[in-house]
Amino acid sequence: MAIVNRAEGRAYLTPLVGFLLFFLGFPAAVNLVYSISTVSFETLRSPSLSGFGNYAAVLADHEFWGAVSFSMRFGVLTALAECLIGLFLAVFLTPLLAKRSYLMAPLMLPLMVAPAMIGLMYRLVLHEFAGPVPYYLFEWFGDSPAFLDVDNAFRTLLVVEILQWTPFAFLLFYMAYAAIPLEVREAASLDGASALKALWWIEVPLMLPTLVIAFFIRFIDGFRVFDNVYALTGSGAGGSTTSLSIYIYQAFFKGGAIGKAVAASVVLFLASLAVLYGLNWITGRGRR
Amino acid sequence: MKLNRTSFSAAAVLLASVALPGISHATVTVLGWPGGSEETALRATVEAYNAQSGIADADKVELLFFNRDGFFDKLQADMAAGSDAFDVNLVATYSIGRYAPYMEPVDLGADAGKVFGESVLKTMQFDGKQYGVPTDLSLHFMYYRKDLVDALMQDDAAKKKYAEIAKEHLGKDLQPKDPDSWTWDDWAATTLYFSKQVNSESPVRYGTVLQMKNLLFNMMVFQSLPRSYGADWTDKDGNVTVDSDAYKTGLELYKKLYDAGASPKDSLSYEYAETNAAYGSGQAATALQWNAAAADLTNAEKTPAVAAVTGIVAPPAGPNGRADHIHGLGLGLNKNAKNKEGAVKFLKWLATEDAALLYARSGGSPALAPDVAAKVSKERPDLVKLGEFASQYGYVMNGATSANALSVYELQAKEFTGYWAGQQSLEDALAHTKTGMQDLLKK
Repeated sequence: MAIVNRAEGRAYLTPLVGFLLFFLGFPAAVNLVYSISTVSFETLRSPSLSGFGNYAAVLADHEFWGAVSFSMRFGVLTALAECLIGLFLAVFLTPLLAKRSYLMAPLMLPLMVAPAMIGLMYRLVLHEFAGPVPYYLFEWFGDSPAFLDVDNAFRTLLVVEILQWTPFAFLLFYMAYAAIPLEVREAASLDGASALKALWWIEVPLMLPTLVIAFFIRFIDGFRVFDNVYALTGSGAGGSTTSLSIYIYQAFFKGGAIGKAVAASVVLFLASLAVLYGLNWITGRGRR
Repeated sequence: MKLNRTSFSAAAVLLASVALPGISHATVTVLGWPGGSEETALRATVEAYNAQSGIADADKVELLFFNRDGFFDKLQADMAAGSDAFDVNLVATYSIGRYAPYMEPVDLGADAGKVFGESVLKTMQFDGKQYGVPTDLSLHFMYYRKDLVDALMQDDAAKKKYAEIAKEHLGKDLQPKDPDSWTWDDWAATTLYFSKQVNSESPVRYGTVLQMKNLLFNMMVFQSLPRSYGADWTDKDGNVTVDSDAYKTGLELYKKLYDAGASPKDSLSYEYAETNAAYGSGQAATALQWNAAAADLTNAEKTPAVAAVTGIVAPPAGPNGRADHIHGLGLGLNKNAKNKEGAVKFLKWLATEDAALLYARSGGSPALAPDVAAKVSKERPDLVKLGEFASQYGYVMNGATSANALSVYELQAKEFTGYWAGQQSLEDALAHTKTGMQDLLKK
C-alpha cells in the first residue's frame, strides 16, 4: 500500500514545484527573452524583441571563443589533475586514515574556504614584497618568477584551483575505495594478483562510476570558474585569463551589452545541459 | 484559545516586521562609499547633521554601506531596478553619465561655488546640470625616495652612471634633477638607474612600481603621462584621437620600463594595494599613486621602511606641462527617493562651508576653494597640496563623464595591457581601442 496517495503526493510537491518554477523558471524565462532582445539598463523592463542577433554577435566574437577555450582548457586540466592526485592520495592514504581518521579534517580544510578568499590569499602569498613564496625564492635562489604575468598566470591559476579542490576528489575516491568489499581484494590476492594489478583490474573498475562523476563535477566547476581567477588576475593582461563566466560578467556589467551577455549565458547553459546529459548517459550505462 | 493567542502573537510580530521598515523610511537614507577615510568622515558629518536642533526626526540621516568590490555594478543594478532603498547615493565623475538617468539634478545654492570652486563643482555635473555635492577629490602624487634621490644628486660617479643609462636606454643626454622639476624622461632615467636589472649597484630592486593590471582605475593613473604630451580622448569635433603620438609615447615608455625591469615582474597584476606594498617595502625608488595612499605611505607606523624618506610631488611634465587626472566622489539624489525633500535638505547642508570643513577635519578629502582650505591648513596640510595640484594640473578627458566613460576605461585597460604584455602590437592595440571608443562615445 502506498504511504500517500497520488493526490496527496501532488499536494505535497506543489510548493516545491512552485518554488522551483518561480526562482529558477522565471529568471530562465527572462534570460531567454533578453537573449533575443535589444535591452540596456535603461530598458530592463521594456526590452524590444530583435531576433537572434545577440547569438550571432556572441558566436562571431573571437573573445567569446577565447573565453570558451580558456574555460575548456582550465576545466579539463584541473579536473584531470584533481582526479589523478585525488586517486593517488585515496589509495595511499587509506591505510593511514583507517587508523587515524582525524587526519581527514585538515585534508578537507581547503574546501572550507570560499574561492574568492583563496584568490585574495594567493594574491598576498605570491606578492613579491609581501608574500612568503617570493620571499623564500629570493632568499634561496636570488630571484623569483612572475607568477601572475601573461606567461605564467594560467599555470598559477591551475595550481591554485587544483590545490583547493583536490580534497573534494580525494574524499569521493576515499569513500569509494573504502567501500570495495574485503572479500574481493582477498580473492584477487589468493589468485596471485599483485597490488598494482589488483588496483588496475579490480579496484579502479569498481570505482569507475565515482571517477567519472568526480571528473564531470570538477570539470563543470572548473569550466564555470570565476571567483578565484577574478580575484587573482581579473581578466588578465589583454584579456588573457577571461573565463566564460568572466566574459559574461564583463559584457553585462562593464560593457552594458546585456543581450549579448545573456545570449552567452544561454549558450553556456545549453553546453552545461549537454554535459549533464552525457554524464547521466555514462552513469546509466555503467549501471546496466 | 492558547492557539489563538499564539496565532495572534505571530500575526503581531509579522505586522511589526512589515511596519518597521515603513517607520525607518521616514528618514533620509544615504548610500556612501564604504571603507576608508570617506566612510569615517561621512559618519562624523552625519552625526553632526542629526544633532542639529532644526532637523526633524523624519529628516534625520541614516547611513548605508556595502562592499567596495563591484560597488558600481551593484549600484547600477539597484538603480536600474528602480530601488528606493536609499534616497541619496554615491556618484563619481566617471560614472555620472551612467547613473544620471536614475538620478535628479539638485540645486546646491550660490554658496556652493564659493566653498568648492566652479571647477570642482563641474566634476559632479552632467549635461550642464549639477548631480551631486563633491565630497572627495582623487588625483595622483608622484611618491619618491628623498634619500635615494639626494644621494644620487651628490655623487659624481652616480651622476655619470645615470647619464650613461639615460643615453643607452632613452637615447638622451640627461642629468639627475630635483623631482619637482622632472620631465617624464627624467623620471624614466631615474627609474632605470634605480633598477637592479639595469644598474646592479642600485640600492633598491626597482626604480618604480607601474600599475599595469587590466583594470579601469589603472588607466586613470597611466593617462596623465600621455596627457602631458597633449593626449585627449576626442578632439573638439568629437573625433576619437586615442591613436595620437601622445598616447603612443606614453604606452611605449611604460612598456620600455617594464621590459627593462624597472618595475616588478608581476606589475601586470598590480593595482593600488600591490603598489603600496611594493613601494612601502623600501625596494622601489618611485611610484605614481593615488593621493589616498599619502596617509599610509607617510605614516611611520604603517610604512616604517619609507615613511620618513618619502617625498611627494605632482606627476612629471611633458611638452604640454604637467597633467594630473582628477575625479570626484560625491553624493546625489536618487530619482526614486522616498524622502526627496529631506534628501535635498541634507545635500544642501553638505555643500555649506561648515559641513565641508567638518568633513575635511573628520578625514575626508574635499577639494576646497583656497580661502576655505586655508581654514583647515593646520590640521590637513595635504588638502592644500590636493587643491593646488587639482587647480594647476587637474584635467578631465573629453568624454570622460559620458554614459560609457567606464566602458572606455575598461576597453583601454584590456587593449593597453595586451600591448604591454606583448600580446599585440602598439598599432593593433590603438586601432582596437579607437574602433571601440568610436562605438562607445557615439551619441
